[in-house]
This record gives sequence, structure tokens and C-alpha cells, in this order.
Amino acid sequence: MTITNPDLLALITTLKMAGLTTILLLIIGTPLAWFLAKMKSRFKVIIEAFVALPLILPPTVLGFYLLIAFSPQHLPGQFWQQATGQQLAFSFSAIVIGSILYSLPFVVQPLQKAFEQLGDSLTEAGSMLGAGPFDRFFNIVLPLTKASFITAASLGFAHTVGEFGVVLMIGGNIPGETRVLSIALFDHVEAFDYARAHLLAASLLIASMILLSLIYLLNHPAKQKHNRVKRVKS
Amino acid sequence: MSEVLNQLSLYIHCQFDAFELDIKQTLTLKGITGIYGRSGSGKSTLLRIIAGLNNQATGQITFAGTVLLSTDDNCFVKAEKRRISMVFQDSRLFPHLTVLENLQFAVKRRLTQKLNIKEIIKLTELEALLHTPTSKLSGGEQQRVALARAILVEPKLLLLDEPLSALDFTSKNTLLQLLNKVSQQLQLPILYVSHSLAELQQVADKLLVLNFGQVEAYGDIHRIIHQLNHVENSTSQLTSQQTSLSLPVKKINESHQLITLALGEKQEIQLPISTYLSNQWKENTEDQELNVRCFILATDISICLTEPKDSSIVNQLFGKITAISAHQHQVLVTVNCQQQDFFIHISSYSLDKLALRIDLSVYLQFKASAVRTQIR
Repeated sequence: MTITNPDLLALITTLKMAGLTTILLLIIGTPLAWFLAKMKSRFKVIIEAFVALPLILPPTVLGFYLLIAFSPQHLPGQFWQQATGQQLAFSFSAIVIGSILYSLPFVVQPLQKAFEQLGDSLTEAGSMLGAGPFDRFFNIVLPLTKASFITAASLGFAHTVGEFGVVLMIGGNIPGETRVLSIALFDHVEAFDYARAHLLAASLLIASMILLSLIYLLNHPAKQKHNRVKRVKS
Repeated sequence: MSEVLNQLSLYIHCQFDAFELDIKQTLTLKGITGIYGRSGSGKSTLLRIIAGLNNQATGQITFAGTVLLSTDDNCFVKAEKRRISMVFQDSRLFPHLTVLENLQFAVKRRLTQKLNIKEIIKLTELEALLHTPTSKLSGGEQQRVALARAILVEPKLLLLDEPLSALDFTSKNTLLQLLNKVSQQLQLPILYVSHSLAELQQVADKLLVLNFGQVEAYGDIHRIIHQLNHVENSTSQLTSQQTSLSLPVKKINESHQLITLALGEKQEIQLPISTYLSNQWKENTEDQELNVRCFILATDISICLTEPKDSSIVNQLFGKITAISAHQHQVLVTVNCQQQDFFIHISSYSLDKLALRIDLSVYLQFKASAVRTQIR
């Protein structure tokens, strides 16, 4: 079945991009966050600043530099073309790579904070019981930082869904390939099709609100329960 | 077990910003070996180096013939591969698991299957707590779970890093009894770090004393405690001068709630029956000779030149002065009674008044309550 509705196509592209980005961010972000949480070197601040850069950098700046890097005239673009036979710039892969860099702090920072708060005491206890590094991570660290992983994944996903500048710079506006919801919304506004723009904007707003509420609910279950109990008693 | 299988050789050096640990000592591990010293003497650091949790140390560590660290050969065995387990000061139970799940964590990772989990649960008296979340446990219960968990992984060596420091008096004594049972029943060598000599006196067979990152003394617990009585400006300043004893029970006087210990063939020492001693007595079902560890502070003993009569003080020993050491106006007199040294703290005034001298025969007096068997 071929999907012809351009907004539905944009939604599917967005979900694919955000889903893949979130999975890759968790795979890349977890060891990076662990490394930053345990690192004692003076160079730690430089890596932390680099990870946090997308928080303050205009997306177009990041998009501009990535566009240059992804072009066949430069090493990353050349390398990609040699490896895959396809151009990197203006491809789905390009917007996924751009999204990973752009949403990196939203995944790394909550995980780094969780690992720092967890400390070394329980993993040391684990190693004293014969647990190796992966065993300690999956059976001690992961269950105890589960909430932070859900927060990191949700924030990474939501932030990627809302991405505009970076995607537009390195992906362009190719339907079914790089045209995501935020760009579709921009197109509707430019075409004065406010009814469809409203539909997309309101959907994104409600979806983001629900996602963030779920994150807050998940991070404060005890407090919520306690408040509910207090209300019932009074 | 041969001598080599019990040996822990430590030839290590570890440099920190304002502290240096330099240990050259071979320990023969049998029963419980105490590691004692003031705060910052390097006790816990040494334990972490042995455990493999500190990789900054250089030199060589060999345990039971296996090299755990050798800087020359670029060898460092990871903590999880050493088959050494540890009970920390803060129990470090996994908060997302129940008591039973914490114990099963160890069982799933052990390399041998000698111990039965049910027996260890019974030994550590955890039957009623198995399904309790660890956050609901008291400090003493948490340490019991931590001890059971550390045992269940079936280590070749168990390390205890001040496991009683955060506990109240009752929990401390309960756990000390448990440690004695564990050491005796499982034949597991234990290294026990503490800044409390009273704690170590109750359980340790040997004592390693650290001072500013170096070994100050090592040997039989009672001998080392007595040795510390004579060392000035050192670790001994942490604690009171005392006589440390381990004597067999001769009889029990239940009507007066007193227990009598045999000092050689002719003399005896009486002390009150405590819950601690009573439990020891009840558990000693195999008709073995029960030895009681106790200590008497040097300030709690007095010297008399003639035999005290009609006194309420129940303990009166006869002996000969073997040493007198004076420091300013304080004097430490050593009196040998039945091959056992006793240490008595008196003033220089009393020394002059009684004209005490070496080889003089004297009587020692101390109350039954001055003979301590429990940590306080």
C-alpha cells in the first residue's frame, strides 16, 4: 500500500527518524554518559561543553557545518559515499546523524546525572560478588536508573520530533525521505493553509504535553502517591 | 590446609596526595585477623587494595599461591575474579532487590557449590526477613544480610571493613557472635578492619597494627595488645592500656550469676554472666573447653602488698612484678601471675608509697565487673 497523504508521510518519516535516533542515542549516549560520570580528568569540562553545545547553538549553525561535512567534497561525505554508494547530504541517514548530534545532551545529561548520583558503592559491592562489568550494568545500574533511561529516551525522542533547523539544512524537504512534521507545518503556513497547519501544530503540542506529563509522573511516583494518600485522609 | 594456602603476601606501595601506604608483610590467615589503626592509618585502603577495588597500588600481592597484583609482570587481577568478598561499613545491599534476591545474586555468581543457602540463612538468622525490602531493615539486619551475601559467594577470603561502626551496642554484640560462628563453622579466613580494639579483641586471633600507612606490629592478638601498652606516641594512644585474656571456663555459679575462669592451675578470675556469655555457654554443646575472651583496663586493677581479706572485691591474684615503666606521673606496672602478664596503671605517688620494685611479690585486686567481655 502506498501512502499518498503528504502529512501522513511526514508523520511516518518523523516517527522513523525519532525512533531510530532515540535507539542510536541510547546506544551511543549510555557509554558516553558513563564515561563522563566516572571521568576525573580536567578535560571532562571540554567534552561536557561539546555535548551540551546543541542546547545553545542555533540549529542552523549546526546544520550548516553538517551540510558542509556531509557534502561529497569533504571527508565524512566522501567516506559515506565510498561505503554506501550514495550521497549523505539530503538523505534520511543525514537527518538521523544530525538529530543524534542535536539531541545528544537531552539523552546524555539525565543519564550522566543518574550515574553520578548512583555512585560506585553498589557496583563495587557487585564486583565483590563476582559480577563483571556488563553483569553489574544490566543487573545493578540499569534497574536502579530505569527512570532516568525512560526520561532520556522520551526527551531525546520528543526533541527529535520537534527538530526543524538542522533537518531543513541537511535534509532539505524531500517527501518520504527527509520531509518531517515540523517542515510540513512550515510548508502549510507558507501556503496560508492554516487549517492543516493547526491540525499538525495542535497534534504536536498535545503529544508533547502528554509525553512530558508521563515523564514527570514517572519521576515522582512516590510523591504523587503520598499526596493522594494525604488528600484521602484529609 | 598447608601454610602456603593460608598466606597473604603484601609487598605494596600506594602514594596519595598527602598519604603514603607502604606495606611489606606476609600474613598467615587462619580464623579472623584484625587490622587496627587510627583514622587515616590506611586500614580501609589496604583492604580495598587486597579486594582489587583500588588499582593505584604498585608492588606484589599473592594470596594462597595466586598472584593478584604484580607490577613487574603487569598483572592485575580484577576484583570480580579474585574470589575475595567484602562486607562494607554501609551494607551496600541492592535496594531494588529483596533480602532473598540479594542472597540469590551471590548464589548465581559463585564458582563452587559448597554452601547451602538455607543453612547460611539459618546461621545468620534471616528466615523471617527473606521477603522484606532492604530499605525496611534495621542497621544490624542489613549487616547480617550483607554478611550472608558475602559468605554465599563462597570466597576464599572474606574482608570486613568496619562492619559494626554504624550499629548500636546490642547489634554489635549480636554480629560479633555471628562472626565467631561463621569463622569457626565455615573455616573461612577473615580480615577484619576496625578502629575499635575492643571489637577486635572479641573475635580476632591475630592483629595487624597500622600506623601512618606502615605496619607497626603483627602477631597474636593478646601479645600485640600488650605490646601496644608499652608503645608511646603511637596507635596505643587511641586506646586504654589493658590486659587481654582468653581463658577457659572453670565453673558457673548460677545462683550468684558469676562465671569462673581458670588462670593456670591455681588461680581464677570471676566475672558476671552476661547474655553474650550465656549464649556462648548454651551454644557450646559439644562439651569442648569454652574459652572466654575478656579484657581488664589497667586503671581498673589495684596493687596490694599483703593479701586482701574481708574485701568485696572478688578477684584477687598473686604474682610478681616483672616491669615498671614510668611516664611523667603515670606508672605502668607489669605483674606476672601464672605465666600471664597483667598491666596495672598507678600513680608515681603509689609507686613510691608501696616501694614497688621488680621481682617483688604483690596481690592484684579487681572487681568482677572490671572484667569485660562485651564491647560498649
